[in-house]
Amino acid sequence: MKKSSWLLLTILMVTISSMLFTPFQQHAAAQGKHAKTLVMGTSADYAPYEFVDTKKSSDVIGFDVDIARKIADRLGYNLEIKDMDFNGLIPALDANRVDFVMAGMTPNAERKKKIDFSSVYYKASQMIVTNQKSIKKVKDLQGKTIGVQLGSIQEKEAKKIASQVNDVAIDKQNKVTDLVEQLKSGRMDAAVIEDGVAVEYLNKNPDLSGFKIPHSDATGTAIALPKNSALTEKFNEQIATMKKNGDIEKIAKKWFEPKKKASDEKRAIIDFSEIFPSVPFILKGIVTTLQFVVVSIIFGFLLGTLLALCKIGGVKPLRWFADAYTSIFRGTPLILQLIVIYNATPQVTGYKISAFVAGVLTFGLNSAAYVSEIIRGGINAVDKGQREASMALGIPKSAMMRQIILPQALKNILPSLMNEFITLTKESAIVAVIGTMDIMRRAQIVSADSYRYLEPLLVAGVIYYVMVMILTVLGRMLERRMSRSD
Amino acid sequence: MIDIEKLHKSFGKNDVLKGISAHIEQGEVVAVIGPSGSGKSTFLRCINFLEVPTSGRIVYQGEEVTAHAAKLQAVRKRIGMVFQHFHLFPHMTVLENITYAPITVNKVGKATAVQKARELLQKVGLADKENEYPNRLSGGQKQRVAIARALAMEPEVILFDEPTSALDPEMVKEVLEVMKSLAHSGITMVIVTHEMGFAKEVADRVLFLDGGLLVEDASPAQFFAAPKSERAQAFLEKVL
Ligand SMILES: Nc1ncnc2c1ncn2[C@@H]1O[C@H](COP(=O)(O)OP(=O)(O)OP(=O)(O)O)[C@@H](O)[C@H]1O
Ligand SMILES: [Mg+2]
Repeated sequence: MKKSSWLLLTILMVTISSMLFTPFQQHAAAQGKHAKTLVMGTSADYAPYEFVDTKKSSDVIGFDVDIARKIADRLGYNLEIKDMDFNGLIPALDANRVDFVMAGMTPNAERKKKIDFSSVYYKASQMIVTNQKSIKKVKDLQGKTIGVQLGSIQEKEAKKIASQVNDVAIDKQNKVTDLVEQLKSGRMDAAVIEDGVAVEYLNKNPDLSGFKIPHSDATGTAIALPKNSALTEKFNEQIATMKKNGDIEKIAKKWFEPKKKASDEKRAIIDFSEIFPSVPFILKGIVTTLQFVVVSIIFGFLLGTLLALCKIGGVKPLRWFADAYTSIFRGTPLILQLIVIYNATPQVTGYKISAFVAGVLTFGLNSAAYVSEIIRGGINAVDKGQREASMALGIPKSAMMRQIILPQALKNILPSLMNEFITLTKESAIVAVIGTMDIMRRAQIVSADSYRYLEPLLVAGVIYYVMVMILTVLGRMLERRMSRSD
Repeated sequence: MIDIEKLHKSFGKNDVLKGISAHIEQGEVVAVIGPSGSGKSTFLRCINFLEVPTSGRIVYQGEEVTAHAAKLQAVRKRIGMVFQHFHLFPHMTVLENITYAPITVNKVGKATAVQKARELLQKVGLADKENEYPNRLSGGQKQRVAIARALAMEPEVILFDEPTSALDPEMVKEVLEVMKSLAHSGITMVIVTHEMGFAKEVADRVLFLDGGLLVEDASPAQFFAAPKSERAQAFLEKVL
């Protein structure tokens, strides 16, 4: 190997190890007024309950956050906030990754099977939000499509409407932001949204109008805690106190009051001016994504090489292991592997790995399966004569592998490897599910905060594209360097 | 120097070598000839265990060659080999090809290895090519580099497996010239070849293989003038 390559390798190693020891997760302020800390799990894409004002900072704020702070403070705890995908909240509670969850969550029977709820701290009623001025009451919904968030109280409300009014179709979406976007694009006619949330959207979108559903089921929002948590009783006491002394009402006023009336001018379908101040917030995700991708690629490559050697080596059990390994990791969805590793590791080992480490582990392990196949193919494609010439010279097996066979194999498989690395870079967006503050997760948060759906995603798309292009160019340069000998 | 005793080799049901015994003296140049498929390459490759014999023994300098990795490596260091298709390392320059094994296996200092490599390149007439990559060389040049690579390990014996068969006719001569001068240097050589003229002129002894058996073991003068076996007669009639 050339001196310059060693230098490069050393620099790379130093960079990576320094990355590994920097904190990855955005822990919102656990600065210690108190000795103990409570960790709250939330999904910061549900304004005004919890969101990030991405134009100003990375802190999670909102109605729930204010209430949580107050309760924690009164109980003598600091508060630390962990943001993750809504679907990851209950598993996180289950795995003791967070002490409690506040995410505008409604107690229902299904959830109660797994977790406990505090008493209800806030009640909201339901609104119809629509893109048609002609829809002014529930009866007007005849023949219309109405959207709801999947598995929510609103879904029940919509079913009730469907039983009273003819020809109502129900369209279920994952997020409230999705509902609003579908409304704006005209793919649905109306949506059932909780009033506090709906008010925000109505303020920002002059095209939308809304009205309260009479006699609607009030959504009660409560704090989720692990089964039989010692905290539940204490939380209930605090909620009772805050209801009595008017604290909750004060906080509700602060977040749910309709603000300035939106101007009536028509807004463009795509308008970047609104999210422009939030672009730096998204850009910060590049560091997280890059750290994640680089560490995963290196881990996956090293492990993949090892597996490839197991596959071509003479030791049968190792070969079986490597083959089984590959078949499992190639045969199951990446997102499933991610969630299993993230949530099962603490339950099995008792060690709480961070979202970042879980992500790197999953992507590294997964990538290794693909890389090992690529490398195995590459090694087998190297002329048998190379091995014989090496053996005849008395070159030891390990040196032959490292310095004769692998360099030739690598040169041939470089394009396939590059392809694998590019795939990994793009797929890294999946880690947003477990709440790593990468580009994708930040784009989602901006979209929730700005009530603009497409623009943040487009910005994220451009960033990913540029990263992939840079990777492609680097690959070409490496290829050119390696083809000196042709 | 090399004792080959009752060497058998089969690939599955195919008995390729059916009990060959031969002895090779220090400093001898031995030509191995015979029809295609008679087992010449297999015979040669059994000597340095590129093929592991099914039965029989190879005794090198009084010591039996076995598949034991470390011992085998030690033996192979002392036995050079030159292949029909060269098998140079394509990702290394000519100089690196020649110095790699001495540095890695024999732990020779880099400066010494380079100096030695340059001497060898001079000897095979390629002094100006040390920084080329193999793909830029002609077949004849490649084979001369391969010979230099084998020589750099300072072996006691070199095995050649049809070193000129893959070459264009005009390049055969340059390689044979190098081998001829090697033969005169006193190194032991075992050469599988179809070049009868070369065998006749350079070899001290001829081994004629047919059907996995050693049919004749004679001096070139004897063998080419008056082969004893009918099979050798038929073979020579065809190739001469
Ligand atoms: N690795 C192998 N696996 C199976 N059969 C083999 C292998 N190597 C050689 N053989 C068979 O052994 C027989 C002898 O082959 P070998 O290469 O030794 O002959 P040869 O005398 O060198 O012929 P040629 O002059 O064509 O090179 C052939 O039938 C060949 O098919
Ligand atoms: Mg042959």
